[in-house]
Amino acid sequence: MQIRVKCNCGEGDCREWAILELQGVVESQPAIGERLQGLEIGRLCCVSEGNYTFTVGYHELSGTKIPLKKPLLVLRKKKGETSGELNSSASSEAELEVIGIIRHRILFKSRPKALISRPLVKDKKAA
Amino acid sequence: MQVEKKAAEEDRGGGAEAVLSLGSSLSIPICYHSSFGLDDDLFLLEVDDKLLPDFLQNRCFKLGVSLQKTLFRFDCEDFCHDHHCCTMGEDARVSIRGQPDEDAVLCTPSSTYAMKFVGTSNSVFLIPPGDVSTSNCKDSCADGDMNRPVIASVYTVAKGNIELIQVAPRLDKLKNLLRERPYKLDEDLIGDPRQEIGLYSWNDLVQLIQASEEELRTALKSLSALEIDGFWRILDDKSMDDTLDMILRNAVLHDWPLSTLKEDSVLSVLEADGFPGTIVSHCLGTHGCKTFVSEGTLCSLDEKQVCLRLAQRVLSKGKMRLENFMEKWELLSATSGMKPDLKMLEGEVLYEKIGVEDWIRAFSVSSLSSSPAERFAALFQERPKWQWKDLEPYIRDVHVPGLSTEGLLIKYTRKTQPKADAEVIFSAR
Repeated sequence: MQIRVKCNCGEGDCREWAILELQGVVESQPAIGERLQGLEIGRLCCVSEGNYTFTVGYHELSGTKIPLKKPLLVLRKKKGETSGELNSSASSEAELEVIGIIRHRILFKSRPKALISRPLVKDKKAA
Repeated sequence: MQVEKKAAEEDRGGGAEAVLSLGSSLSIPICYHSSFGLDDDLFLLEVDDKLLPDFLQNRCFKLGVSLQKTLFRFDCEDFCHDHHCCTMGEDARVSIRGQPDEDAVLCTPSSTYAMKFVGTSNSVFLIPPGDVSTSNCKDSCADGDMNRPVIASVYTVAKGNIELIQVAPRLDKLKNLLRERPYKLDEDLIGDPRQEIGLYSWNDLVQLIQASEEELRTALKSLSALEIDGFWRILDDKSMDDTLDMILRNAVLHDWPLSTLKEDSVLSVLEADGFPGTIVSHCLGTHGCKTFVSEGTLCSLDEKQVCLRLAQRVLSKGKMRLENFMEKWELLSATSGMKPDLKMLEGEVLYEKIGVEDWIRAFSVSSLSSSPAERFAALFQERPKWQWKDLEPYIRDVHVPGLSTEGLLIKYTRKTQPKADAEVIFSAR
């Protein structure tokens, strides 16, 4: 088996990907189920240089943009068909391709702040 | 946290650029990509800046892999499900190497790295670069620019990344492969039905040995291997001894100075006696150093290397009294004008006292594993207590990236000193 790692870009041309990292899990409403494609998660806002808020539903997270100590390469596994020797059947061959590089992440490590709070209900005292 | 809004159905591109260059007081919607969850074939590999040029270039790298799955160990089954190794191409710069029973390693042209998968419990959203969408959906507009709707799409959620940890090359296997079929002077490959059994070409070794090409070349040199008919071989002891003897004998016969042997003269005489030129040249290189001058190649035989070879021959029959050994060794060396010294045998012999007599026996560092744990285990099995002067030659060649000799001793030995003025003793931890 031969696995090729292909890079079609040069060092300066490798396209940069972004990372949003949340301490926790984003859950969709039960009604949506597994059909997440195209669903809006929330809104990312740049408050000031390097500082962000991420609003998910009525939760607001605060985060910062951090350069990675070591860059991350994004590799994709590809499966292609390659013809083998003459008269032999086509064999499945895996490939790895460098499709991007990640140099920064936006990390939201604080607990979410609730944007909507339930109003306090005062108990009526019996006369 | 719950997601409530449903964004427009059309694919709105990636938008990593929009996220990374988002201006102050601007905002951008983050959506799940139209292909979210459909592609599990992405890997994040943490790479040191100095290694980037090896990865990011306009060419292919070829990886020969097929490794067993283990928790928290990078496994090439994640890449493919076909259990066959491949041969490396000439254009390979970075490769992942290993057999089904081995942990995967990543090799650059000069170094070897273990691969470790580091999982995360965080939600790591990966946003690819993408073209700005042509959608006019108001929800999708970056604040302050209604004509240029921008969206960042989360392509997948990463479960972790692969870390590279520099390790020593795994070269013990190389010794074993080359010892399968050492070259003998009288061997004749023609008509041998097992012609290529136990023989390994450069491509075979690259595929089988978990080491970078530079480390592999260095290891072949240190094992005194040579390429014969496209296969890397080591000479069996008798063939090396016979060739060296013939060189030394002819040096005496023809009054050749051992410090400036003319390679052409040596080759012509020994080839006439039936010794292959490549073997003679290799023997000269193994036991000395060559310099290239206008008249040809000059070889200076190294006294230590030659005396060591002669000592190994004397000790090949087993343990002997030190004085008997010295007598035989000096006699052998004297015929070729060499002056033997016990210091030449560091890391090759062990001494022991039996009653009042000193005995000597062969115990070569080259027979020991390159793995520190196995090396120390073998040393303490041989002798439970070691003095530093005896131990040092046997651990001098152990290299663990990021660990000094002192660190190795702390990790694998226990240090004791019976008295303040006594020698430090090392025993098994």
